[in-house]
Amino acid sequence: MGRRRAARVRRRRSLARSWSLFRAHTPGMAGLVVLAAFVLLALAAPLISDAGGLKVTHAIGNPQWAHPSSEFPLGTDNLGRSVAAQFVWGSRISLFVGLMATLLTMVIGSVVGIASGFFGRWIDAGLMRVTEWFLVIPFLPLAIVLAKILGPSVWNVIFVIGITSWPATARVIRAQVLSVKERLFVERSRALGAGTWHLTSRHVLPNVAPLILANTTLTVPIAILTETTLAFVGLGDPTRASWGKTLEEAFAAGAVIGRNAWWYYLPAGVGIIAVVMAFTLCGHALEEILNPKLRER
Amino acid sequence: MTRRRQHLRTALAVAVVTSTMAVPAAAPAGAQEKSTFTVGVIQDMDAFNVTLGVTLSSFEAWNNHYPTLTDKSEDDFSVEPSLAESWTGSADGLTWTYKLREGLTWSDGEPLTAEDVVYTINRSRDEEWSNHYSTVANITAEATDELTVVLTSSEPDPKLPVMDVYIVPPQVYEGLDADALSAHKAIDDPGGGPFVMKEWKKGQFWRMEANDSYWRGRPAVDELIFRVYTNPDALIAALKSGEIDATGDIPANQFDLLKNESDITVIAGNQGGFNELSINAGDGLGDFHPAVADPIVRRAIAHAIDRQTLLDRVLNGLGSLTPAMSTSASPEWDLVLPEAEQYGFDPDTARQLLEDAGYVDTDDDGVREDPDGRPLEFRYLSRSESELSAPLADFIGEWLKDIGIEIKIEVLSDTQLTPRIAEGTYEMFVWGWVPYVDPDPMLSYFTCSEISDDPESPGWNDANWCDPEYDRLYKEQNRELDPERRHEIVQEMLKIFHDSASYVVLFKTDDLNAFRNDRFTDVVCEPTETGPFLFTNTGKTYQRIRPVEDGETGSADCGERVAAASGGDAGDTASTADDSGSSAGLVIGLVAALVVLAGIVVFVLAKRKPADERE
Repeated sequence: MGRRRAARVRRRRSLARSWSLFRAHTPGMAGLVVLAAFVLLALAAPLISDAGGLKVTHAIGNPQWAHPSSEFPLGTDNLGRSVAAQFVWGSRISLFVGLMATLLTMVIGSVVGIASGFFGRWIDAGLMRVTEWFLVIPFLPLAIVLAKILGPSVWNVIFVIGITSWPATARVIRAQVLSVKERLFVERSRALGAGTWHLTSRHVLPNVAPLILANTTLTVPIAILTETTLAFVGLGDPTRASWGKTLEEAFAAGAVIGRNAWWYYLPAGVGIIAVVMAFTLCGHALEEILNPKLRER
Repeated sequence: MTRRRQHLRTALAVAVVTSTMAVPAAAPAGAQEKSTFTVGVIQDMDAFNVTLGVTLSSFEAWNNHYPTLTDKSEDDFSVEPSLAESWTGSADGLTWTYKLREGLTWSDGEPLTAEDVVYTINRSRDEEWSNHYSTVANITAEATDELTVVLTSSEPDPKLPVMDVYIVPPQVYEGLDADALSAHKAIDDPGGGPFVMKEWKKGQFWRMEANDSYWRGRPAVDELIFRVYTNPDALIAALKSGEIDATGDIPANQFDLLKNESDITVIAGNQGGFNELSINAGDGLGDFHPAVADPIVRRAIAHAIDRQTLLDRVLNGLGSLTPAMSTSASPEWDLVLPEAEQYGFDPDTARQLLEDAGYVDTDDDGVREDPDGRPLEFRYLSRSESELSAPLADFIGEWLKDIGIEIKIEVLSDTQLTPRIAEGTYEMFVWGWVPYVDPDPMLSYFTCSEISDDPESPGWNDANWCDPEYDRLYKEQNRELDPERRHEIVQEMLKIFHDSASYVVLFKTDDLNAFRNDRFTDVVCEPTETGPFLFTNTGKTYQRIRPVEDGETGSADCGERVAAASGGDAGDTASTADDSGSSAGLVIGLVAALVVLAGIVVFVLAKRKPADERE
């Protein structure tokens, strides 16, 4: 018990140290603030905006293409729906898909990366060929073809993004595992009779975990952008509001070129940029903190 | 000769790039300047060969390239002389004798004789050319001399004396057997219409040149170019910049914007095109929900849809309501039905119909179940190639949810949709038709024999609906020579089809045309008072347009509508300018606010830094 407590205390201290480093990291903090704001917005969506505002049949009495006003803070779209409601509810799907797809990417990428790096030999060779195969196929066409075959739904979009974006993660993690498994404490543990499961879960995984975390925050923006792209080419879930869907509908309705209804497409566009930017800033900050080589000082 | 309208929309950014590469060969710098009328289109031809093509674009090209025995008046589509100068019918209506003009020639200089007309009619009947067959199925043609064609029909045929199949040049076609014909491109064939096809780059453009030997005389315009745009926004931009002179593919959501352009005349015209919610009536192949085969469920669905709202909100009012499908470009054939017998918007009636027929929500999840306990969850096929699809699916889905029916939307391209319908693995879809002038082809599509029994070769009946009484009446109208009696029979047929509720007709759609009035004048609408001027039944616009003279503003032969469409626009233009000014200001404001906000965040965080370090 004593040893475990010691470990816990050590971890808490290390976390506190990382956190204070993170707080000192200005761009990282800025990213975190923006991110927190959007997560709050997504969670509080039902309080801020009535989901009925997304329904076309509830918008029959509203003006079409209305400029922003006190009644419609971000104006209305071609069917009279409030753009503000679409923005608020869209943030949910965009963030949800981004995070879930990243989770999938991380799970696949970590398992493949650790297995490949740890076991080496034919497992490594086999897994790396598969990884390379995924890497050489152009990402977007593959995602589009898969999404088209599977049909449009939120879960399919998550699956498509996850299945197409794990190879980069797998390679980064494999490289780290290769270095970790040669370290003395792993050798020592193995000499003491530790099995594969113990070695990977107790020694390898904790040592690549920071890398996985940093990689995660850098993958989320890619996942969000991919979700937007798929929704924009009409392969998103047609029944759910997302920022990508808003952009697609704005484009299809002629808001962008013909009508210049900036209030329709700009919020979703700014939202995507802000969230992607925020994740990227956080990711780079984490990377710097967790990887001492990158830290200046 | 009815055909699906196939509006395309950009699916991928890649497609946008190819459209900008669609630049036809530059006109050779001749001594005299050539006048070229350039039309922007969304849909390319599928084939120029008359035995193969089905798209509206192909018909537009054929109308220019091929001669026909008779023409149609632009006023009311009544029969008019073309190659045939005059005709007489026998007392029993079975035999018609046509007198051809003297001195007709093909564009290659060969004489165009009665034999050529006879050749086309007989061969297209024998080989069942899909675009010709319904017109010539019962007809035998004979040339009694160079200028006389005698048509004998084995059955009374109310469509005669109209004979508008495209006459093909035997000097080319005699050398092609049925197999060779199906591979024939037809691009260099001699023509007999006002323009002759010269060049086609698939996905980019096709080019036609004025025919010197056209019987009405060489057209005023030297060349037609149809340029393919895959994206409506690019098309509109091309029209505004003068890259193209006209288009028939303006999206409904941009029409009001173009009204304010003083150099552009816009015209909304109808020639019978409509959109329908088709509900699988269950008489065809397939694995579908048994509830849709129940006419009561279909009627309930019809009552749940507010068509006036769809017209106002989705189509921006650029269309009209009609109780049943239109079968002709001319509104005289539309079903006349008292309001009480139409499917008015009435969700309570819809719910009551379902409730009484045993479709009750037994498990309180908001979706009704049929008497066997199967929830009313219907597959709804939505077209990826129309900008109307998404809003229509939104509206219809919400209204149906309101009466306890759930839809599962599947988005499909047109090429995927046709076999799916034939397969019968769906409950409903939204698509549209553009009928021909005579109602016969459109009516024929809903006969029992047109139901697909093989998804590989789909039939026309996409309602999967079959009614022996309708079939009997179809045969009757097809041989009824008394126009009034025929009209009555058609009304009766439309009523039967309406009552089946397998086609919930959402609205008639206007064709939205525009041309640059600073370049060309004298476009012709068909029918004059209500129709569009491009993609019409005869293509009179191409024969009549001419470049404007200095200082002249182009006019349209389209009745009263033109003044209404482009008049009184000064005020509108001013207010639009104001709008864009204020919106630019708001954009700048928004961006500035973002920058300031970001600045504050960075500043606050920067100030915190020393304190953290002191810790």
